[in-house]
Amino acid sequence: MNVIMEFKKAKRTGLLPAFLCGGILAAAVPAVNMAARAELYLTQQGTPVQILLNANWQVMAMLNVLLVVAGTCLLYHTEYADNAMQKMKSLPVRESSIFFSKAALLILLSLFVLIIEAGATVFCSFHWFEAGTDIYTELCNSYGYAFLLMLPCIILSLLISAASKNMWVSLGIGVVCVFTATLLPTDSFLLSLFPFATPFQIFTGTDTVRVMHYICAVAAELVIFSLAELIMIKIRRYFA
Amino acid sequence: MYIIETKKLTKSYADFTAVSDINLHIPKGAVYGFLGPNGAGKSTTMKMFLGLTKPTGGSFTINGKKYPENRMDILKEVGSFIEAPAFYGNLSGEENLEIIRKILGLPKSSVSEALEIVGLTQFKRRLAKQYSLGMKQRLGLAGALIGTPPILILDEPTNGLDPVGIHEIRTLIRSLPEKYDCTVLVSSHLLSEIELMADRIGILNHGHLLYEGTLDQLKTDAASNGYPTDNLEDTFLALIDADNQERGVLK
Amino acid sequence: MNLLSLLDVEFRKIKRSKILFILFASTVILWLPSIINSDLNFTMQAQGISPEHNFFIQGFMGMSWFMFPASMVVSTVLLTQTERINKGLLKMLALPIHRSSLCIAKFIVLLGLAAVQMLMMTGMYYISAVISSGIQDYNFILSPLFIAKETGLLFLSAIPMLACFWMLSVCIQTPIFAIGIGLASIVPSVLIINTKIWFAYPMSYPFFVITSEYGTLAANLDTSQVELIPWIPVAIAVTIVALSISCLRFGQAERR
Repeated sequence: MNVIMEFKKAKRTGLLPAFLCGGILAAAVPAVNMAARAELYLTQQGTPVQILLNANWQVMAMLNVLLVVAGTCLLYHTEYADNAMQKMKSLPVRESSIFFSKAALLILLSLFVLIIEAGATVFCSFHWFEAGTDIYTELCNSYGYAFLLMLPCIILSLLISAASKNMWVSLGIGVVCVFTATLLPTDSFLLSLFPFATPFQIFTGTDTVRVMHYICAVAAELVIFSLAELIMIKIRRYFA
Repeated sequence: MYIIETKKLTKSYADFTAVSDINLHIPKGAVYGFLGPNGAGKSTTMKMFLGLTKPTGGSFTINGKKYPENRMDILKEVGSFIEAPAFYGNLSGEENLEIIRKILGLPKSSVSEALEIVGLTQFKRRLAKQYSLGMKQRLGLAGALIGTPPILILDEPTNGLDPVGIHEIRTLIRSLPEKYDCTVLVSSHLLSEIELMADRIGILNHGHLLYEGTLDQLKTDAASNGYPTDNLEDTFLALIDADNQERGVLK
Repeated sequence: MNLLSLLDVEFRKIKRSKILFILFASTVILWLPSIINSDLNFTMQAQGISPEHNFFIQGFMGMSWFMFPASMVVSTVLLTQTERINKGLLKMLALPIHRSSLCIAKFIVLLGLAAVQMLMMTGMYYISAVISSGIQDYNFILSPLFIAKETGLLFLSAIPMLACFWMLSVCIQTPIFAIGIGLASIVPSVLIINTKIWFAYPMSYPFFVITSEYGTLAANLDTSQVELIPWIPVAIAVTIVALSISCLRFGQAERR
């Protein structure tokens, strides 16, 4: 219900087209890569999904994360730009419910983006690798995992946007965080838990114990950031 | 029976006190005029009622409910319009009201009613950012009046309106208590305006409450203090001037 | 009003915008891993690059590939949003100032922010070089002349890119598209610098310049070198076209 309202608030801001274009752009990455260098990948070991993700996921994840950062900035920009947030605060609605509705909206949009990307992966698998229908299990696992690992990034990014009234500040912090994520060494488990770095993880080739560790860590991060949002609202109210 | 009552309500910032120890008494079903020059603390007081800013001292009750314990309940009963209109620029006037309607859980018809009351019906599909100043002001008023809440807090509602609009809004505010059985707290820096709307007034200057009571009482008091009484505007100016001199503030 | 006082005004407008903090934070985050991993600089024999050069070039590559362009996209958002939030631009347009000189003044502010980030980058480079030298007991500090040359080159090569970002933010009113297209346009430069038509993509210039410098410093590494002939004319043309379009479109939405 509230998600629908948040979606309505984002009318004419280009949120939906931006996620659509972003999804298509990220989906084009494996297709273009295969079209240009098919012979390089066709000789590689592994399943088609594994090869495709290994080759392209870094760029695709980068686009996804940037899209999330831009989307969160925009969602709170509409609240702050014409002072609508003040009106919202003087209505009997919890600020936290606005936040979580926005989060749910972004999660849905990200799912939509991942589905487009999964579609591209299926296309590439069939077109170049002549894969059988057995790829679907692996595909679902991979993208389901990618979806879970995107969640902390969405919540933290939204938290940053909610904290700052000026869009360039939240965008700036978001961009710095994305950059930090690209600098972090990939072999350290602890560092790769940085919320902007988790979306870069790939399911295939990761052992099951590791996967479980990531899922638990992601759940913990979600709880932490949600609490942080609640605390932030309290503190803001205190100093208002 | 007072619907809004404050006890020594205070708001101080690091370097100045915006509202200082004020005791307001707003009776149910009245139009209460809140008067004072720019920066007297009218908006700050109203913001405190809505929980938009936190009092640093004192307390207040609205319809028997205390802040901050019953903040949500207070907000459910208060329609508000504070300072510059607050809206979503990317949405039309109708869509803006639709959002408020949903949050308040009002029937669908309340949007068109609110638009009708403020006279925005023919512009309801235009984007709020393309509205003229007066239309934005009307949209803000519609957001306060929607669903006719029992208490209305209106901060300088006639700012930016043309003379016809000012007259319309004044007449509207005047008629609200009778029509919808509600209480209105309206602020202005023009006594002439308050005079036409309010039953009771409170005069604020530099965060202090100089006077509270009926207009007639104000006239009697002023006469006994030797202030001019033939024109209320002069009475008001003399009152503020005397207070400023007492505080050593330059005119 | 001459351009100089206009610039003064434009720089005043971004006071208290916290942009310097963001630019600074990004350079700190960039150099931190370099200090922590400073021992890795001694394992680059295969590339044939000296540890001190490697220390320098790795940091500058990180900067030019993503952090610097992305910070500049953020800066364009700052420049356009400060005008739009409270209708500041409407007031500016009502003053006796030429629209295009206002547009150019803002672009120069953008160049100024780029230069500030370059300076911060250089400053942080020296700080981290001194720290790393202490940790590894090896002199990582390069001559200021060399660093100044590299930074200057990076700055100059960034001008066409900045002009393109500025054009995007002026022409695209919907903020999410201006931001989205800006950020998304950075990502492909990794792929484009390896192609023959890199000079047609202004967003890749800074990264290309630094990568080719890497090739020069590393004896055993073969990266494409800067060829001035198609590049310089194309770069100048891109800058002029982008700036002309921005000047034409600047304030157009407010004048409807």
